Amino acid sequence: MGKIVFRNFKIFDGEEFIKEDSLVVENDVIIEIGEKKKSTDIEIIEGNGRILSPGFIDLHAHFRDPGLEWNEDIYSGARAGAAGGFTTMVAMPNTKPAISEPSLVEYVLTHSKKANASRILPAGCVSKNREGKEMAELLKMTESGAVFFTDDGDPVSTSDLLRLALLYTGKNQPRIMEHPEEKSLFIGGQVHEGRVSALSGLKGIPEATEEIDVARGISLTRETSGRIHFTHLSSAGSVELIRQAKKEGLDVTCDTTFHHLTLNENAVINSGYDSRYKVNPPLRSSRDQKALWDGILDNTIDAVVTDHAPWHIDIKDEPFQDAPFGIASLECAIAVLLDYTNKNHTNVPLELILSKITSSPASLLPEKWQGLGVIKEGSLADLTIIDLDRTRIVDCDTWQSKARCCPWEGIALTGWPVMTFVEGRKIWADTEEY
Amino acid sequence: MNVMPSETGQIVWRHKNVIDLAGWSREELYFILDQARHMENVMDRPIKKVPVLRGKMCVNLFFENSTRTRASFELAEKMLSADVVNWSSAGSSTAKGETMRDTAWTLEAMGADIVVLRHRSVGAAQYLASKLKRAIVLNAGDGTHAHPTQALLDLYTAWKHLGNLSGKKIAFVGDVLHSRVARSDIIGFNTIGCKVVVSGPPTMMPKNIEALGCEYENDPKKAVQEADMVYLLRIQKERQQDGLFPSVDEYHKWWGADKNLIAYAKPDALVMHPGPLNRGVEIASDISDGHQSVILEQVRSGVAIRMALLYLCGGGK
Repeated sequence: MGKIVFRNFKIFDGEEFIKEDSLVVENDVIIEIGEKKKSTDIEIIEGNGRILSPGFIDLHAHFRDPGLEWNEDIYSGARAGAAGGFTTMVAMPNTKPAISEPSLVEYVLTHSKKANASRILPAGCVSKNREGKEMAELLKMTESGAVFFTDDGDPVSTSDLLRLALLYTGKNQPRIMEHPEEKSLFIGGQVHEGRVSALSGLKGIPEATEEIDVARGISLTRETSGRIHFTHLSSAGSVELIRQAKKEGLDVTCDTTFHHLTLNENAVINSGYDSRYKVNPPLRSSRDQKALWDGILDNTIDAVVTDHAPWHIDIKDEPFQDAPFGIASLECAIAVLLDYTNKNHTNVPLELILSKITSSPASLLPEKWQGLGVIKEGSLADLTIIDLDRTRIVDCDTWQSKARCCPWEGIALTGWPVMTFVEGRKIWADTEEY
Repeated sequence: MNVMPSETGQIVWRHKNVIDLAGWSREELYFILDQARHMENVMDRPIKKVPVLRGKMCVNLFFENSTRTRASFELAEKMLSADVVNWSSAGSSTAKGETMRDTAWTLEAMGADIVVLRHRSVGAAQYLASKLKRAIVLNAGDGTHAHPTQALLDLYTAWKHLGNLSGKKIAFVGDVLHSRVARSDIIGFNTIGCKVVVSGPPTMMPKNIEALGCEYENDPKKAVQEADMVYLLRIQKERQQDGLFPSVDEYHKWWGADKNLIAYAKPDALVMHPGPLNRGVEIASDISDGHQSVILEQVRSGVAIRMALLYLCGGGK
């Protein structure tokens, strides 16, 4: 493969912007930060002051493979991630069949390698066949390469099963990722219980749906001295519960999504109940949205994820009530967030935002992947170039993903990833830029 | 007709479709009511037909059971000389798995000019309108969201009796949570200047009810106090099975409209109900059939209002 030199970049190393403006990659590894002597006979990538960041890490995406491949598969998903600047994505196991045994973990890894685009790491189910009855073979799946355990799409069905899984995995196995949802409050729900449910009559999903399960998980983590990661937080109350649990010293982490940070229930109302805004957990109040930003600011929230939930347009393009939940966002999520922070003048530093999609989520992966999410000598050359001035209109028809619709379709956003490298290989470039 | 409101004047009709009443102005509402008055005159003629929609094709696309609303639209369309096709979900290709957008495009290909849609899903009318290239959509009820023609016929009925509605008080009692009638009526009566109070079991009230522009009063007697109009909302008996209230008997005792409750309203207050009635649940027979009841007038108003909307949206140019 040889050497690549990146010159004239603002380099973000996972924590901060560093003083060096160049780095050298040899084969799949970053060998030098700050080019010591000008090399010749190499490939040069000229930055012109653009940002060079560790490749983005998405701890939560759905690829529908195996079983529902007309909506997305590992190949289209891996390319979609690449086009979105993501170099590593964690695949949720709620496929058909569910990823709950070692051979299926290997299936995801094998196809991910063949895709030759972004890296897809599998999460395994907590329970066998994701039925919520008994624990799956968690240790065998770890050995095969599972990086989280989750029954995502559903919460771990009973408190007893969650307690056992937390005990069993302890501090040395992949984390339990909980989809926080108290089922009896969720049934039939369509939107946030609040303004949007009052105006539409659609059945509301109260904030308590999420908060009760977060409280359960915290309580069981304390009980078992285990560790838990809550995914796609949407409510102010959940953020506060986790803030307190962290203060207490429990090993509790969490993420929220690009769409919960940038949209709220008013988007659903103003769209006339357009199904593209239908997502679970639902887009909540502006108060909840603000609490999520506060959680980012004080590091209560560890990561920002896409919860990329692709549906073929024939399935998603239905009246609100008849459409499935889910927003597909891999290919525009970064731009959505950068554009939002820019236009809304949030006081969140760019370094902090970038850390939530690089070093911070990387730190939640198993030992083997601890070198991801940072730029340092010796780390894997997973890199993403960001152009903060690039403006593009979101055009789902050009997507790599098979899900050709999203809430931002037709909207001009500023601030895009423009080139993506995995292990030193260029896997995607914005052709107008490079 | 008591009063011709000064608000009524010529306005530029800007609505292609009728999806819901959010964002409609008071002037527009009065304008429609005034148009409905002319339409009601047609209903009294020996030959109930005018050629306003001659040569236009109306499709009544009903994905949910409805007898009265569909009949009301059909009568309105026929009195305006439209050609009418009734397309209901039973026996249609929907049963064979056809999507609504394919149904819509099929109807448009057949030459439909106006589609009247009743659908169980919130936002269905808006969705259909976004898929049709030429035909217009009148919403005859989309899930729990909106039923704009019901709200307009209620406004028309109230206006005929009370004249200018500004400052008048209306109390809605019953299941607001699941009611598209309540949602559209609250917006309509609010926009036209009424004070709107709602009452009913807290389990059948939306959270953030103030977003609808009304206040909630738990005690129905206080809610109807000095009201000019008392509007009873239909209680679907399956809500009791859902556990939202313990028994029909308890509901009727607490929230049902009987002589005792109506006595708290103004002496000549109008008693309204969207139909069909659940006698002995949300309303006692002596009230529904009593001298204050305008329930059958509401039914008649429905035809006039729908004629007015069909004329304004479908053939008025």
